[in-house]
Amino acid sequence: MYPLDGTYSVEHSARLLRHYRYAVERMMRVMGGWLALTPEVSAKLLMGRHVWDNAQHADALGRRLPELRARAQESTPANEGVVAFMDALESPETPERTVERLVGLYRVLKPHVLAAYETHLHDANAVYEPPTRRILARCAEDERRHIAAGERVLAHLTPTPESRARAAAWQTRLESLLAAAGGVTGAGMPPGTARPSSPEGEAEAEEFIRLETRPPCWPLPEPLRAAVQGMGDALVARDGGGVRCWLADPLLWNETAESALAAGRFTSHAVVAVARIGRQLLVKIRLEGPSVSATLAARWAGGPEGWRAHALDVAPARSA
Amino acid sequence: MERPIAYDKLAREERFVRMRARDVAQIKIDQGEPPFPDLSTRESIKERVHGIMVGEMQAMEGAGRSVYDFPDAPWEFTLDMARQVWDESRHLEIYLRLLEHLDGYVGEYPETTILWRCACAEDAAARVAGVNRGLEGLACDVFNQLVHIARRMGDPILERAVDFVLADEITHVRMGSKWLTRLTEGDPERRRQAIAFQETIDERFNLGGVRQDGDHEQVLISIATEARQLGGFTDEEIQRLIKTTQRSQVY
Repeated sequence: MYPLDGTYSVEHSARLLRHYRYAVERMMRVMGGWLALTPEVSAKLLMGRHVWDNAQHADALGRRLPELRARAQESTPANEGVVAFMDALESPETPERTVERLVGLYRVLKPHVLAAYETHLHDANAVYEPPTRRILARCAEDERRHIAAGERVLAHLTPTPESRARAAAWQTRLESLLAAAGGVTGAGMPPGTARPSSPEGEAEAEEFIRLETRPPCWPLPEPLRAAVQGMGDALVARDGGGVRCWLADPLLWNETAESALAAGRFTSHAVVAVARIGRQLLVKIRLEGPSVSATLAARWAGGPEGWRAHALDVAPARSA
Repeated sequence: MERPIAYDKLAREERFVRMRARDVAQIKIDQGEPPFPDLSTRESIKERVHGIMVGEMQAMEGAGRSVYDFPDAPWEFTLDMARQVWDESRHLEIYLRLLEHLDGYVGEYPETTILWRCACAEDAAARVAGVNRGLEGLACDVFNQLVHIARRMGDPILERAVDFVLADEITHVRMGSKWLTRLTEGDPERRRQAIAFQETIDERFNLGGVRQDGDHEQVLISIATEARQLGGFTDEEIQRLIKTTQRSQVY
């Protein structure tokens, strides 16, 4: 190939950059919005780290545009299909859909954007397009690290065959929308690339996962542990009298509390949180059944009769 | 996506317990304990660090919402907010590790959402005034004092880590000062409302006399005059804040 042969005109190059920028800017805003809606610390830290990288990518692409006779910092979707794809990617908002959020980012959009950058890098002329190539190379390097980290956190958050099937189904749905749009550039899907490895990204993700790990044993005084066990057993057995004997005031176990749990049949219970408020301990237990789960937070205080709950807060049963 | 996010929609793992700040304080008062950790013991420092960790999580979420909620704001504003997300995510990691350093665990104390309630202004100028100047100003006060106490206790891990966080927070206050001015250029009414919003937050976080101008060892939260100056607060603003702390209601 003659060194001055080129695939892209100035206008074409600018158009591609605007399309990349649309995807990257929107991805960055969506990640920012999702932080508050995502419970898992590992996923929060993961996306929190990547918002700034992607903002810098959008900025670098946007700054390059005036050098290509285009308006600075402009984002343009390639077509309505790309908008529809991004709308679908953004749609999982509820707390229990973290897996879908991460799949959209780390298994669909980021690998696709990386493949688009790599194709562009391969095709762009090495003599007169280094400014664009350098930006794309830097963005691609970050995306490799993001994807590797995202994969590690996703593996952590999909420990069961059911959760992995859910992730795969969502991936298939998004990939079909993306393919229908012709990718973020609208020009067709670039060849897929091998899953990138990044020791830095993987190590970072490992630490985020470690920070999500609960204590191996909740720090409860033994008499309180026995009291919590007793109350949990009574709740599972639907033994109102048994529950009341652990309460400082038996009236705390009232119709409201009882009806909140009435919808479910529970077979086990486990402590999921222990918080200190002065000398009192607030213990949250999760009640599990074949089809529903519920949580109950009780504030315990020690006294002459042993540990008793002085306040109860029951979250209604919901489908597991 | 919904805009803005109500405090009860903040997503948390089960190991967190969320309560109203006033309820937590009242339960402690009922036990004859002070409503706020006083930094006199390692246990009370751990409780303060846990509160800061939760605050950093909400700060990260809040900065993220500013990236999402204001697509029509100037691009440089979004860039600053995105940078703040990154900073706050590192702060969250730092405080999670400091909690381990102090033999604590996540969820050891209840999470209160008073910070988040202050971060939900619908106008971008009011939000940066409230969050970046009000809340991040408070962070400067708290961290400056914590650095001092860590140094006095001989805990270089706590001292060094928090000092780096403090440097970031000063940068965030500076961002707030910059964007309060730029976003309200030519619109004095918007500026007045944004500053009024910030002042309600300052007043709330005076915590009925808990925050004061005074020696780190003598007051529960001491105002960090120098850090605030570095962040773009004028001497007049700092003096006004000090005056308001003298007339705040007892909690």
